[in-house]
Amino acid sequence: MNEDEAYDYVKSTLKKERITPYRQEELEYVKSVENCINCGLCINHCPVVAAVGVNRFSGPRSIAVELSRSPPEFWSTADIVYLCTGCGTCREVCPKNVNIPEVVNIIRSRIFDHRPDLVPKGLFMVREILTKHDLAFEPWEDKDEKTESRNMRLERLRIPFVPDKFLENAEIIFYPGCQAEERAQEVREAAKIILDYFDIEYTLLEDMSCCGLPARLIGDEETARSLGMQLKEKVTKLGAKKVVTTCAGCTSNLSEISYNYDWGVETVHILEFIAEDIGLERLKEATHRSNELADVHVTVHDPCHLIKHTSRQIMEHALNILRLLDGVRVTESEAYDSCCGGGGLVSYHANDVATAVVKENLEAIEKTGADRLVTPCPLCTAQLETNLYKIGSSVEVDDLTVFIAQRLPMKR
Amino acid sequence: MDTECDLLVIGGGMAGLVAGSIASMEGVSTIILRKGQSATAYSSGAVDIIGYLPGTSEPFSSPTEGLAVIAGVYPLHPYSIVGYNEDVETENIVSEIIRRAQDAITWLKINLENTITPLIGTFDSNIYPITVLGTTKPTCLIQKTMHSGTLQECEDSTLLFAGIRGYADFNPSIAAKTYLEDRIAIGKPPRKVGRCVIQITPFGKPFNLSSIEIARHLDHEKSIEEIAKQLKKQVDQLGASHVAIPPVLGLRNAVANKKILEELIEADVFELLGFPPSVPGLRLQIALEEIYRRSGGKLLVGHEAISYSKTGNKLNYVTARAPRRELRINAKAFILASGKFIGGGLSGDLSGMHESVFGLMTITGAYLLARDIIPSRMTNRVAISPEGQPVYSCGLSVDPFFRPVREDGVEWASNLFAAGSILAGYDYSTEKSGLGVAATSGYSAARSAIDFIKEVN
Repeated sequence: MNEDEAYDYVKSTLKKERITPYRQEELEYVKSVENCINCGLCINHCPVVAAVGVNRFSGPRSIAVELSRSPPEFWSTADIVYLCTGCGTCREVCPKNVNIPEVVNIIRSRIFDHRPDLVPKGLFMVREILTKHDLAFEPWEDKDEKTESRNMRLERLRIPFVPDKFLENAEIIFYPGCQAEERAQEVREAAKIILDYFDIEYTLLEDMSCCGLPARLIGDEETARSLGMQLKEKVTKLGAKKVVTTCAGCTSNLSEISYNYDWGVETVHILEFIAEDIGLERLKEATHRSNELADVHVTVHDPCHLIKHTSRQIMEHALNILRLLDGVRVTESEAYDSCCGGGGLVSYHANDVATAVVKENLEAIEKTGADRLVTPCPLCTAQLETNLYKIGSSVEVDDLTVFIAQRLPMKR
Repeated sequence: MDTECDLLVIGGGMAGLVAGSIASMEGVSTIILRKGQSATAYSSGAVDIIGYLPGTSEPFSSPTEGLAVIAGVYPLHPYSIVGYNEDVETENIVSEIIRRAQDAITWLKINLENTITPLIGTFDSNIYPITVLGTTKPTCLIQKTMHSGTLQECEDSTLLFAGIRGYADFNPSIAAKTYLEDRIAIGKPPRKVGRCVIQITPFGKPFNLSSIEIARHLDHEKSIEEIAKQLKKQVDQLGASHVAIPPVLGLRNAVANKKILEELIEADVFELLGFPPSVPGLRLQIALEEIYRRSGGKLLVGHEAISYSKTGNKLNYVTARAPRRELRINAKAFILASGKFIGGGLSGDLSGMHESVFGLMTITGAYLLARDIIPSRMTNRVAISPEGQPVYSCGLSVDPFFRPVREDGVEWASNLFAAGSILAGYDYSTEKSGLGVAATSGYSAARSAIDFIKEVN
């Protein structure tokens, strides 16, 4: 047997051995585990460990030094790796930059490939919607009902309706993400208000589709890649320079795939766009005594996908924006950067874990005495709003994009 | 993205946070970059100043004594550098070193007083807290929760080691045996030692417990009363005057928990020094970050310094990388406190020893160039020996202002200072001097950087 034959022979046994070779971009993540010094600092910071203990979720160190060691046995870790909320805290505190959140995605994708029976059932529901509609949430059957829901939201929040824009050759694409497209429509509307107010030439996608993050979290790499490719085609065809989004998960995932797959397009969160392109001075001028909203005392939640997967500097922008708004007072919550439990699709199959993770936030938010919680991510907004409501809290929750749009005057 | 400040500190451990806080308190706008947590958060949470002279086995009785010896034997030790100042006359160098180190430690103690982890201890004597192995080690400051009161002086003291069922990091039997043997050998109290196991169930199960979950559990109301009930029985049975527990007494409420426990069981309670990554280490890290934040400084977590721009003798900016963004930070002065091998300030491989951000000159503990030295040539076969591991003494060589120097002895940049474990010329593990050197050099580098910034303005 020559070398090539030997290679082919080994390749032919991989399926039986339940091994999928690592792809080029995965190798960097896999190799980062070599740097692990097994110190365990990550365990002290993991929000899932804090919420349910190491007996249920053995923690990031265990994923690095135990669970990720034997590809043929990845299946045996399914009861643990699907409990990771993917918040990225472990990677951030790691002195050696071990990329545990990505290692979790790699293991999940192998389990999905070889032992789909061990993938939590709840995730297949998400996958079905994803593959059927190219969206993470089931679209409205009745478009009128969708419009009605939108109008009710606009009315409740007292923000105007700005018609959708579909332009060719606009410099900016506004990409609302699945949640703002189908569920939290007020966030999509609010971003349009902001962009429109500052005369930004932007366009929406004619045919909105998911960025693929939920598919990656399920472990369905193929769907994730095809959704990513689909979106790349739509975005590059429009010839835009920048994609602006209102979702934290989309921000980090789009930043990643646009880099990995050479989109040649920058992707930013609307907070970055406001701070760096529109300018805080203009926002300050525009919002100054522009409305009769009562003074409000807010606290802020930092979405993991912005701070731990993109850059903490983005939340600097959020605070700077809040500071310049009239009548807004900010008190920091002790758990401002603690995972809301909504990540990693954990709530779809282990709601008790997601609920245990969010608990730390709820207590800290209550303690601030704030009237309202703002956060620049529709997923965090939904997770925190639902759970605050469940404990009977009086704290209201707003997506930060909506909060800003509410403070802009009607356009002349 | 661009931002600017007067002082950029690279590294958010003891040295970086002390330096950043001092600068920020003096009105200098400061950013601290931190790519990950490291040796400070990883530590036992006690602050060593100087425990041993390398090569000897008898500890120093006090930091004052130790620093005087170090200054004499190792004139280029980071502590010794503190004493080199144009205004200081040769005969006053030792007292200057002691004064400066004492200033830094006093600053630390005062500022930690109103945090989750106040410290106890003085510069006039080393203390000997007990570890989870039942051994003792010399250190200068311990967290108040680790204070064993009169245990080792009082003739009729009795110590109870209390373990926790299902918690593998502490074995009370071994600790009790080791400790008692040790005390009998030196003929000092306590002369009676017992052990027991109590049950704490953070998630309803008495097995597979980690330190952090027990500590967080004890932060919750009423959980401390629960363990007090169990301990009280054991204390009464043995007639214990003191109770030693592993370092898990709470993350944010440890001090209050100690007090409640002592009242309820009528005995002194203290935490043992634990294995890394310990809860007290995390408490210390959190407390230091809190001091820095209160001072008004900005802590930029999750950002790693990856490149820089330098014109002539002046460093202009550092570029920091977050997972998906890059940020350029312009500053007037820079402090490099990026740690050693754990923190990643230094790296060693087959091509030699390198400083990670600026490629600064590295030297060995013997002050030879370390650039081409393979780390494995710098290790001892015996893992733990009084001679230590020479690889630990590698690092940067600095001038009296704590500025890293080049091969010709001139500073690499007029506005770059260095502090903490990245400095060469000391071995924290044999000396027991890690956090003390970090705090003192952080304090001194900050002073130099502040003077520099004020001069430029």
